[in-house]
Amino acid sequence: MSPFVDFVIKNGFLMDACGVIGLGLLGLGAVRLSRRYQSWGGSLLAFGAMLLLIGRLWVIVMKQFMTAKAAASMGHTMSELVMLAPFVLLTAGLAGVVWGLWGHEQWLRSER
Amino acid sequence: MTLPPDVLPLASISAMRPVFLIIMGVFLLLTAWRITRGTTGWAPRLLMGGAMMLAIGYSVIVPLYQGGVLMAIPASGIVVGDAASAVAWEVIKLVTMNGGWLVFGLGLAIHAGVFETEKSAAPVQVPISSSSIHEPLR
Repeated sequence: MSPFVDFVIKNGFLMDACGVIGLGLLGLGAVRLSRRYQSWGGSLLAFGAMLLLIGRLWVIVMKQFMTAKAAASMGHTMSELVMLAPFVLLTAGLAGVVWGLWGHEQWLRSER
Repeated sequence: MTLPPDVLPLASISAMRPVFLIIMGVFLLLTAWRITRGTTGWAPRLLMGGAMMLAIGYSVIVPLYQGGVLMAIPASGIVVGDAASAVAWEVIKLVTMNGGWLVFGLGLAIHAGVFETEKSAAPVQVPISSSSIHEPLR
């Protein structure tokens, strides 16, 4: 196994951190766009980035804490809900980011 | 009206989600291309690079995992089938999704001017005595 592949597989947490940092930067930039330039796409973008961030963190935390024992103590319905909720968040967040980016593009076009 | 049983699963959430992801990935790339068209600098480069990685991740890799073509590595670490290709796809997924968001977020942050300092609009008062050393002393 090459050193790079070895590194990525063994330090999966580091890669997850990269994604979370990127989403944070995305949210920061989007908030700045909507606050300073009054771009309506920016606020949608920030909303989507926040949903994605929550969903991503949920998935990462769930990988650590959602053991078979924890799932059994929560009951079937609750554990299903906890397992499926991040995917709703991730889907809605992606839609928000794409819609917000499109809105920002329209705003740029009308401003130029 | 009764639908045949093999049509119903096509309308379910688990069948719609990969299609949704493919459309979103392509649309993200398209919108990023439209934003960065005809511009130069690091912000459009990073935006475009991140959007390309995300488009690969969302339109190709994640739907393949969701559709069951590629199998995720289980927590036990025992892979059914070809272990090398499973590891390789896992690496591609990790790099495109996480790296894509990192590069795309960095590009948007630069585009929004997060790393720039705004000039203060407050009036600057220069003391009269230090305005010019050539003025005669009063």
